[in-house]
Amino acid sequence: MATIEVKNLSKVYGSGETKVTALDSVNVTIEQGQFVAVMGPSGCGKSTLLHLIGGLDRPTDGSVFIEGSDISKMSDKTLTELRRRKMGFIFQFFNLIPVLDAIENTALPLILDGVKPELARTKASEWLSRNKLDGRGKHRPDELSGGQQQRVAISRAMVSDPVIILADEPTGNLDSRSGDEIASTLRKIVTDWKRTVLMVTHDPRIAAYADRIIFLKDGKVVDDTLLNGSNGENAKRLKEKVESL
Amino acid sequence: MRIQILLAWRYLWGRKQRMVLTTLAVVFGVTLLFGLNAMIPAMMESFRHNMVTTAGKVDISISSESNNPFEESVLKDLSEIEDISFYTGILTKNVVLPESLGGTVNKLTGSSAVTVTGVDVATAQNVRNYSLIEGRFLEPNDTNATVIPQLLADKMELKVGDIFTIPSSEGVSDLKVVGILSLSASAGLDEIFVPLPDAQTILNLPQKINTIDILIKSGADRDVVVSSVLSKLGPNFKSGAIQTGEELASALTMGQSMMWLFGVMALAMAGFIIFNTFRTVVAERRRDLGMLRAIGASKQTIMGLIMVESLLQGIIGTGLGLICGYLFSYLLVSAVGNIFAGMLRVTIGAPVITTVNLIGSILLGVGFTVGSGYFPARSAMKVTPLEAMRPTLGSIEYRQNNRRAIWGLGLLTLSVVGLLLGNVSIAGLSGVVFLVGIILIAPVMVKPVADIFGKLISSIYSREGKLAQGNLTRQPSRAAITASSMMIGLAICIAMMAMITSIEHGFTTYLDKSLGTDYLLMPPSLVLGSGNLGVNQGFIEKIKSIDGVEEATSLRLATSQVDGTTLQLIGIDPLVYPKIAGLEFSEGDSVEAYKAMEQGSAIIVNGIFAVTNNVKTGDVLSLKSPQGERKYTVVGIGFDYLNAKISTGYVSQSDLAKDFNSESDLLLLVNRKPDATAEEVTPALQTVIKEFPTFSLIDSNEFKTEQMGMFKMAMSVFYIMVIMLAVPGLIAMANTMSINVIERTREIGMLRAVGATQTQVKRMVFAESVLLSALGTTMGILVGLFLSYLLVKAIGVIGFRTDFFFPTSGIIASIVVGLVFGIIAAMVPARQAANTVIVEALQYE
Ligand SMILES: Nc1ncnc2c1ncn2[C@@H]1O[C@H](COP(=O)(O)OP(=O)(O)OP(=O)(O)O)[C@@H](O)[C@H]1O
Ligand SMILES: [Mg+2]
Repeated sequence: MATIEVKNLSKVYGSGETKVTALDSVNVTIEQGQFVAVMGPSGCGKSTLLHLIGGLDRPTDGSVFIEGSDISKMSDKTLTELRRRKMGFIFQFFNLIPVLDAIENTALPLILDGVKPELARTKASEWLSRNKLDGRGKHRPDELSGGQQQRVAISRAMVSDPVIILADEPTGNLDSRSGDEIASTLRKIVTDWKRTVLMVTHDPRIAAYADRIIFLKDGKVVDDTLLNGSNGENAKRLKEKVESL
Repeated sequence: MRIQILLAWRYLWGRKQRMVLTTLAVVFGVTLLFGLNAMIPAMMESFRHNMVTTAGKVDISISSESNNPFEESVLKDLSEIEDISFYTGILTKNVVLPESLGGTVNKLTGSSAVTVTGVDVATAQNVRNYSLIEGRFLEPNDTNATVIPQLLADKMELKVGDIFTIPSSEGVSDLKVVGILSLSASAGLDEIFVPLPDAQTILNLPQKINTIDILIKSGADRDVVVSSVLSKLGPNFKSGAIQTGEELASALTMGQSMMWLFGVMALAMAGFIIFNTFRTVVAERRRDLGMLRAIGASKQTIMGLIMVESLLQGIIGTGLGLICGYLFSYLLVSAVGNIFAGMLRVTIGAPVITTVNLIGSILLGVGFTVGSGYFPARSAMKVTPLEAMRPTLGSIEYRQNNRRAIWGLGLLTLSVVGLLLGNVSIAGLSGVVFLVGIILIAPVMVKPVADIFGKLISSIYSREGKLAQGNLTRQPSRAAITASSMMIGLAICIAMMAMITSIEHGFTTYLDKSLGTDYLLMPPSLVLGSGNLGVNQGFIEKIKSIDGVEEATSLRLATSQVDGTTLQLIGIDPLVYPKIAGLEFSEGDSVEAYKAMEQGSAIIVNGIFAVTNNVKTGDVLSLKSPQGERKYTVVGIGFDYLNAKISTGYVSQSDLAKDFNSESDLLLLVNRKPDATAEEVTPALQTVIKEFPTFSLIDSNEFKTEQMGMFKMAMSVFYIMVIMLAVPGLIAMANTMSINVIERTREIGMLRAVGATQTQVKRMVFAESVLLSALGTTMGILVGLFLSYLLVKAIGVIGFRTDFFFPTSGIIASIVVGLVFGIIAAMVPARQAANTVIVEALQYE
């Protein structure tokens, strides 16, 4: 059973003259422990795909299976629960709650799930130190750099032991050094923790950290490549590919 | 729940200024609601206490259903009832002590008084225990003797053997103090005891008593005895002591509903403020909320988040409001307590917290806050997880307000039609409809109003004015809601002022008409019923016999009940009264009415009674009298100045004597002969009055001037209330301005970065605030005009018909208040905006 299975997935926005087909019969299967990057030109449907897989939006047609169950048929309540337990989200704009400190932000999914506060805090601190944020637990987001904020967000995504981590342009708001840090953190999540990561990115250098690259164009999968070899080579190859498409 | 509370606290704490302002609005509303309502029960309480203490400590007290005196002979009927060990008849009444007899007289508050109680010397001591500290109790052959309580003896410096002079229906009565009682120094009046026949003379009630005190056999069931006594005496009697001053109690009850109204209105304004705040809160946090949804927060959790936040504010605000309310009430009671103490002749203690008030205030305070948070919370619930994915855009309102405005316009038309229909309750309803209509239209009014006033401001500060105008119109709903809460305050202000101007005008007319005579011979207290002592025919005869007096007529008094409501009855002489004074009629023909009154069994009722009991000309009323139910036909609706405020009916003096056993003159109206001068007549009147010290001679013109002065003073209390209601409008404006400035921190930073000076930024904020208040003021004036017309109509219906005066002073006051509020509200936010640190502002998210 694949962790993620996307079957004939379509998403159409609007109707009539303003109709936009963001995704057009997409089929993708992703196994556990894979680090997948989604690439493609702006407006090709990358975010849309991610949203549908994450259960943030409903497809127009087709279905998404997470560990075998069809999420497109789930009620909002079950879907919310699924997001809480099985998925972790990392956003381009970090999206930390400004009035909570790093530990509290990280512990949010657990607290939402009714985990005892002490336990939640302990788990949160563990994840913060794994992501090299020891001693930053009591800091509020405005006291952290962008890269640090994103590592708090990754801790938050990991704290509830999700199966899938979804990240939309996680490095889009960061300089290249911070971007590399984030990408290697995600890499570690896959290698050390056997999670499945699905990441949208523009940047071939960041995509090069992944195991597999899915290229989208006009809502269709146009290429699906497995990467092996060194990061540097991969990055170069990807860059050429992006330019060719 | 934990997560909601944690986040609610943190978010509230993160925006202290906004939290303080929003909470302040709740505090203010609850303060008004709770404080005002704690004051009235304080008065009622002491009032009731007073009545209870005068009832004394006997097993059973019986009095007539209508609180009027009844025949002594009734007592005979009780002799056959078993289980009664003793009974005694009593005639008791409060009598005002005029200044000349050692009383203290205060024009505004009334005067000091004593309760004169006539007791059957032979039986009195069987029923009640009179413990004497000096002298002896009354004895069977005593006449003009009295036993007085120690407290009074000390106050008046009286000893056993001294003479205590009190007013009497025959002028004065000189009573010899034979004993001094050690009665408790409880609240209420000093009660002096005299032999029953003396009391009957003093009060001009021969052979009458008004209370029967009964002592039951030990072991007997009190309820059984009460019911056998009542069935023996018939339906005109009740168990319980005679009750005086019910009219005042009902006036207080009416006051209480006014207080609730004020409080609820203040809370409604607080509701607007809270609503605005939470709308902003939700807009500000869309991305946070979306993220929470994405990482697995349920819709309920999100809704709960906002609701808990409003609940917290509601609880804090209400809690503080209760404390402030108590203090406020304490201040009020000590400020007006003296005035009331004099009027009701009781001392008022601390504010009383009734359960109803406490629970009501808590429910309304918390309820309004949570209720106002509800709709924003609903919209927060609808935030999708996708919102977490987008960058925040400045929140600009794109929504179409036109649909709502059309609804509003419809409502406005409806309300105007309702007003024109002329029916009171429809007109009252259309007031509410009008208000709602204006609130619905408000968002589309923002732009035109901002354009018009923006031009004005632009002519002074051209650049800042333009910017402010644009800023204000960005969030028309927010501006409209803020303006609405200001509108309510100002509208009430204008309406009240209009009403006061109109009443003032009408008042003079009424005074002239109902006090159209040259002289008034007045009892010490203005409200006729309270403790004034009537005199017998001898007095008016003496007045009439004075050379130079053309005509004199009197007013008499009794009380009755109609369907459970107390009705004060005034006895007039239908032949003479219309000639020299006259009632102001709002229904029925005066000539016909007085004629019918001569025939007997006819009554003219005043507007208050007619409205509250839904009585029309031609109706037949069943009046409770000591002799049973009596049918009276309503022949007109009208009133005189002195009795305008309480439910009153006017009947002929012969009816009053026949049915209500009242034959004492309480107030005299006297006219000079045209050729007689004041110099001749006044001294002659004064000579007669010397013998009847209850009365004071008053020149009608002086009296009118004095009454006008008092009227104006009473109205100033209203003004204070009105001003209080304007305060939430100020809070609303300050709140909105602070929201606006914080929301635009980034823009302000940008403006500063491209070279706007601090002064320019300040001016921009001030201009926006003044524009906002201009909107509120415009709306307030519109609604105020409508309401004032409505109010003047409404008081016309209860008989106080006056012309409508355009509330110029109210409008001017509103404009001034609006401008001042606009400036005050912007002070802190403007400084904040000007001090924006450019770099931080650009990072601000
Ligand atoms: N809510 C929406 N309503 C209408 N059209 C939408 C909506 N969301 C996305 N689209 C359209 O769907 C298409 C795919 O959008 P999507 O956001 O998935 O692109 P993307 O690949 O993530 O682009 P980018 O790299 O710029 O983020 C685009 O053409 C976009 O205009
Ligand atoms: Mg995208």
